[in-house]
Amino acid sequence: MGGDGFSHMDQPAAASMDKDAACGIWVVIPGYNEGRVIGRVVADVRRQGYAVAVVDDGSRDDTCANAAAAGARVVRHPINLGQGAALQTGIDYALTQGAEVIVTFDADGQHRAGEIARLIENLRRARADFALGSRFRGAATNLPRLRRLVLMAAVVFTRVTCGIRVTDTHNGFRAMTRNGARSIRLRQNRMAHASEILQQIAASGLRYVEVPVTVDYTAYSLRKGQRVADAMTILLDLFTRKLYR
Amino acid sequence: MIAKIGLSLLLCVIMLYAWHEYRRFAAVASMAALAAAFGLYFVWFPDQATRMATLVGVGRGVDLILYIWVCISLLVLVNLHLKLRAQSELVTALARAMALAEAKAQDHDASPPIAPT
Repeated sequence: MGGDGFSHMDQPAAASMDKDAACGIWVVIPGYNEGRVIGRVVADVRRQGYAVAVVDDGSRDDTCANAAAAGARVVRHPINLGQGAALQTGIDYALTQGAEVIVTFDADGQHRAGEIARLIENLRRARADFALGSRFRGAATNLPRLRRLVLMAAVVFTRVTCGIRVTDTHNGFRAMTRNGARSIRLRQNRMAHASEILQQIAASGLRYVEVPVTVDYTAYSLRKGQRVADAMTILLDLFTRKLYR
Repeated sequence: MIAKIGLSLLLCVIMLYAWHEYRRFAAVASMAALAAAFGLYFVWFPDQATRMATLVGVGRGVDLILYIWVCISLLVLVNLHLKLRAQSELVTALARAMALAEAKAQDHDASPPIAPT
């Protein structure tokens, strides 16, 4: 891992990154075999003037090289652990870099970098510790009907089990303050982390706000994203987690 | 009598196992201990098992004990699964520490050298 020389940025890119990091906003992007799109996603976010940390979750393709070339700091898992684990690693990394605001962003290109500002603005205006993106308050283009139904069922499940009134539970586009990030400790390595974050937000008693965002489903993101059958795995993971400390 | 003693010993082992595991997996350990306690009771008071079996509609007392034994086996299986998850958490912590240490080293290498005074 590491040592291939690709995960280092050139000096102008590193200087530009340092300048963006100085504003205290870090965008964390977990990615696994996203070499095809990660460069464009990172470049979009960098154009908005934010520091980017990509967590390469043990990819076998050129995710790491492409992310670094586009101007991201890359943290590499030596093995594939899952999106939840990658997010926690990214949050830990951003905290060590002195981040005041951490934004989580999907690597498959279904979020819009231009909406990061809105998320942060709402976070600050509401004096909240979490700003949670909601595609159901905003827009979801090309969202398949069956997936919409499963997502709605997840909303009902989360409201009942966590007592947190949100309209979108499995949206990876969110922002959190440093204080909020420090209250999160993800132990669900895979997709159940999205529910786990909400459980921890509810348990922390910290303030949260929902913000309308757009999720653009493409053939690529639909192929890479969760399948409907994953809902059962998520439920099982959440149940199993209740059985041990 | 030999069978009773053998079964009792096995159930006692399950009780010990549950006690040993209680600190880490309280829910599973409690269920296993409860099932083992029921098993012990039925081994030594089979008439009660038959009465209970008739009450719950199982038929014979021995069938009820067999079902309890199956339940205990499943609980031990769940416990093993939880142990695997605990191991997975350790692997995650290790991989994360390695990744962060490597990133820190890279950041250090990338930072510009301090100008001589």
